Amino acid sequence: MKIVAVTACPTGIAHTYMAAEALNIAAGEMKHDMKVETRGSVGAENALSDEDIKNADAVIIAADTNVPMERFQGKKLIEVPVKEAISNAQELIKKALTADTYNATNLSDQVDSIKNQKKSERKGAYKHLMTGVSFMIPFVTAGGILIALSFVFGIEAFKEEGTIAAALMQIGGGSAFALMIPILAGYIAYSIADRPGIVPGMVGGMLASSIGSGFLGGIIAGFLAGYTVEFLKKSIKLPRSMAGLMPVLILPVFSSLVVGLLMIFVIGGPVSSINNAMNGWLQSLNGTNSTVLGLVIGLMMAFDMGGPVNKAAYTFGVGTLVAGQASEVMAAVMAAGMVPPLGLALATIVAKNKFSHEEKEAGKAAWALGISFITEGAIPFAAADPARVIPSIMAGSAVTGSLSMLFKCGLAVPHGGIFVLFIPNAVVNLAAYVLAIAIGTCVTAGLIFGLKREVV
Amino acid sequence: MQIRDLLTESLMIDELVNNTKDSVLTEMVEKLALTDKLSNKEMFHKAVLEREAEYSTGIGMGIAIPHGKSSGVKEASLVFARSKAGVDFDSMDGKPAHLLFMIAVPEAANDDHLKILGTLSRKLMHQSIREALMNATTYEDVIAVFEDA
Repeated sequence: MKIVAVTACPTGIAHTYMAAEALNIAAGEMKHDMKVETRGSVGAENALSDEDIKNADAVIIAADTNVPMERFQGKKLIEVPVKEAISNAQELIKKALTADTYNATNLSDQVDSIKNQKKSERKGAYKHLMTGVSFMIPFVTAGGILIALSFVFGIEAFKEEGTIAAALMQIGGGSAFALMIPILAGYIAYSIADRPGIVPGMVGGMLASSIGSGFLGGIIAGFLAGYTVEFLKKSIKLPRSMAGLMPVLILPVFSSLVVGLLMIFVIGGPVSSINNAMNGWLQSLNGTNSTVLGLVIGLMMAFDMGGPVNKAAYTFGVGTLVAGQASEVMAAVMAAGMVPPLGLALATIVAKNKFSHEEKEAGKAAWALGISFITEGAIPFAAADPARVIPSIMAGSAVTGSLSMLFKCGLAVPHGGIFVLFIPNAVVNLAAYVLAIAIGTCVTAGLIFGLKREVV
Repeated sequence: MQIRDLLTESLMIDELVNNTKDSVLTEMVEKLALTDKLSNKEMFHKAVLEREAEYSTGIGMGIAIPHGKSSGVKEASLVFARSKAGVDFDSMDGKPAHLLFMIAVPEAANDDHLKILGTLSRKLMHQSIREALMNATTYEDVIAVFEDA
């Protein structure tokens, strides 16, 4: 007979090992195979592998502390205090071989498993979102920092082909940023549906980018993909001999098809009409009340950070640039676009307990991305908690946008963040401009401090 | 790191003077306090008694292994004591303890020490080793029993 055992005691110095040895000796005398995992103060030694457990005829738990039990589901199992194994190992082995099978069915185990289930259900959507976000964060920081580096060579240096600046832009903007939304969507779907989720998730995310629906479209694509795969897994029943086709052929093809069509025809349509409506609206606002225009631009820049609404405002701003002349609208656009990452970076410092460790690290990069006018730096935070973060950054950007207009700040270039502030004549009313950005940053951080919940 | 580093010659009590559980525990703690292994004797003694209160470390077969993990311990160490008459240790099998090992471990013990103590504990489960320990006449004999096994 093959028997596996786990021994553990509170101090983990002596009893754990004596019990293990006693079991070994007894098993040897009784001509059984025995493997004992000791969970002493040095940690688990001689750990039982899945293979060991699978091959075992019986399991002995001799422990006075908690031992992970799930792995023994369905095995003959006996659980006793550690001293029992020391004083009565042979008897224990006999009992184990005729023991009842372990089924997490006793009342307290049942309660535990229900509790856990509820916990994971409640955390379901949030967990999926966070999985996607945590895979996305490094893409955002890598891409953003490299783009910012290209600005060091001059704001438009990247337009010169073959230069380092152009290469940096191609790496950061053209590649890392281009992967950002597919990665977000792909790993949201992965979290929901495991590996088969990645294909439709990434394809859907790629489409979210190309139809211009930004990261909000990416989140939709991710959930759509994950649940589509789950649905297909349940509803497609293949004969056993063809089951191998599911992961390599059936699931990827059909899930990508469904998600892709939905993205293009259901999500894509509204997105482009939103784009047009936004543009028309901004045109109509132009020349009326400039403070209101600044406010609207702020709201738009922060709403989807690089998505269609943001792009509409940005394009509108660039359209007001006349070569060599400063535009007040463009100034408001850039200032409002710098606020979201800056506000979040500040928030990770003033509201430390409301961000995960990973987010706090991303907060450091967000400073660099914010001052470089890379609004996307805020996306990981917004994707993780859209309902609280997006309103906070919209408010901050709106304040900054209207202040920038009120102070009659102007900007003569379409991008660059902090790098243009020092270029003579690029910015009109520099001090007021910086003040406008700083105020919006504080508004955003303050709102997040008030709204966001503590991380549990 | 070897067993002789934990159990030094000065930590061996060839024959205990006392014969009750409490007095024997005190005798062994005092022995340890003569060396520089403890920074706070009372704290360690208290840890041993607290552990003993959970359930006796008299594990039967004539063996007891009182132990304590405490910040009053500077360095992991081991006191080995014998009693021909035996000490009533409330052992699991009701029989008196003849071989007593008192283990002192600091709060932040290093894994090497813990592994040696684990190995030693395993060896005590073998009857041949227990007999050899009862029959050993010198410190070197005792060390040899562990090292040869």
